[in-house]
Amino acid sequence: MKPISTTSATAGASVRISRLEKRFGPVVAVDGVDLDIAAGEFIALLGPSGSGKTTILMSVAGFEFPTSGAIEVDSEDLTYVPSNRRNLGMVFQNYTLFPHMTILDNVAFPLKMRGLPRAEGHARAEAALATVRLAGYGHRRPNELSGGQQQRVALARAIVYQPRVLLMDEPLSALDKNLREDMQLEIKRLHAELGITVIFVTHDQGEALTMADRIAVLKDGRIQQLGPARELYERPANLFTAGFIGEMNFVDVMVKSIGATIAVALPWGETWQLPAAAAVDAMEPAQAAVLAVRPERLELGAGAAGQVGDRQAVEGQVIKVTLSDIVYAGSALLLIGRLPDGTEIRARLPGASRLGSLAAGDVASFTVPAEAALLYRRSAR
Amino acid sequence: MKGGSRSRFWHSDGRRLSGLSTVLLLVPFFAVIAFVFVYPIAQLLVISVAEPHPTLGNYARVVDNPVHVRVLMRTLWTAALVTALSVVLGFPVAYYMSRVKGVRAALVAVCVILPLWSSVLVRTAAWSFLFQRNGLINSALMALGLTSQPFKLLYTQSAVVIAMTHVLLPFMILPIYGSLRSIPNDYVRAAAVLGATRLRTFLEVILPLSLSGVVSGSLLVFLTALGFFITPALLGSPQEMMISTLVSKQIREVLDWPFAAALVGVLTVFVTVLALVFSKTLRFDRLMGSAS
Repeated sequence: MKPISTTSATAGASVRISRLEKRFGPVVAVDGVDLDIAAGEFIALLGPSGSGKTTILMSVAGFEFPTSGAIEVDSEDLTYVPSNRRNLGMVFQNYTLFPHMTILDNVAFPLKMRGLPRAEGHARAEAALATVRLAGYGHRRPNELSGGQQQRVALARAIVYQPRVLLMDEPLSALDKNLREDMQLEIKRLHAELGITVIFVTHDQGEALTMADRIAVLKDGRIQQLGPARELYERPANLFTAGFIGEMNFVDVMVKSIGATIAVALPWGETWQLPAAAAVDAMEPAQAAVLAVRPERLELGAGAAGQVGDRQAVEGQVIKVTLSDIVYAGSALLLIGRLPDGTEIRARLPGASRLGSLAAGDVASFTVPAEAALLYRRSAR
Repeated sequence: MKGGSRSRFWHSDGRRLSGLSTVLLLVPFFAVIAFVFVYPIAQLLVISVAEPHPTLGNYARVVDNPVHVRVLMRTLWTAALVTALSVVLGFPVAYYMSRVKGVRAALVAVCVILPLWSSVLVRTAAWSFLFQRNGLINSALMALGLTSQPFKLLYTQSAVVIAMTHVLLPFMILPIYGSLRSIPNDYVRAAAVLGATRLRTFLEVILPLSLSGVVSGSLLVFLTALGFFITPALLGSPQEMMISTLVSKQIREVLDWPFAAALVGVLTVFVTVLALVFSKTLRFDRLMGSAS
């Protein structure tokens, strides 16, 4: 057995998931997932329920054996190794502290299973509790602790034996919002301190964007996009990711011609010239497409677009929106309205300085900056 | 029903009952219990100390006569044996029930619960048929060449213990099943990922968390076994009486009501003391098999 200590940092292990497939009868839960996770990386599996993210984690933990494919940790094939011999750490959604044991016995449990003498196990458990800032809570019972404290104990229990990979299954979804943010920082701090590889399953995109080095967006058992938060948010690889991550406005358009710029026909008859870089998918003339713009990228007023026709292509386009709702949202102002053809559109303006000057029923002009427009192929929807 | 009358029976949230409807719902039940249980028991206890004149002599007769002490001890021992056998036989069944799903779970549940729907008399009679000198068990043993002479099975204490265990087994299985079912599957997974083998997971997590069910079931079986009448009366030996058969004999044949009442008094004390000692672990919600 390797020496165990809770003070010195251990390096994480690399994880390679290849061609992973899991079927439950006729249902394909995971459909050929490949994922290479670097040692020490913090990766989030993000997706709606039924997207296969939990099944992937269960396969890594050894609670489910995949139908086909392989899972390797540091090049060691663990695909069919039972959970208790994988030496991975895991934190569950519902804490899963054993209610009949004290906090200290809970944290010392994995050490006891590894045959460590009781006194030594308790000393290390005490140290692990200190790293999650719960020193002195060892004699209590799980039901005497708050949800956040219980989850920190679960975290201490998952790292006390220094696993090289930490699996987290929606560990914060049972906590209220403020506590959740505290715990996000706590987990980030532990990740930095321990250098452990983290695989974090969540359906909360905010959580994934703030915590993970890279995010794998999943849908129907497949990875839709894999990349760092900024890339996912700024240039979603497909319509699903564009709609799933953050807020997005969508307008159906037709591609007219492709040259140095892409000319698209808008539903209300205008034709816009968009930069070639706006096309995320390959475009061809007469292609049905979707124009996507983030609500916070819309600028109130027509000023930025300029008056000269040929400058519009680089500076941006102007849209006229009939406002239906003006929602004060604290740090931002949310404007909801309709384009001339009736498509709903949302804009978020920082601050609330315009609150007084806008009213429902007004027609407001917004500028769509050229670099804010993204163009996707329209599949049959 | 309009708002006016409704508010008298429900609180405005529509979920909790008002005080009036609570009383209306419970009064019939408690009236019957008071009339057919509390009142007669109280009467018996009064008789045990008041007749033929105010005295503790009836209780002294229970303790002074070694035959009666032996009956009492035999009753306690039999109840304990039946309880122990029920735990040993019932725990694996309850564990299996808690681990399987679908058709198999329903099948086992039916097998456990179905006997409860037939009367104790029928089940006991079935055993007496099996235990006969040339009954199925003896014929089978002889056919297999395990014995040349039929065993004496009927009218023995063994027959009583076997049949009582059979009758009371569901009362052991259901509470244990309830406590096992209330253990979240994630505990088992957590134990596994933390390095516990299946055996360690069972010993360190599942067993300790199911103990409340074992205690509840044991208490239920033990207390019921103490007062069991039909099975000992039909399958037991007259030389090895249990307390219930002794009470019956005193009332129906000897007509010694004060002494029978004292025997009931002793039994009541045992039951009450045990129930109080274990009242903390006896969780009635667990008896219903619900998660706590």
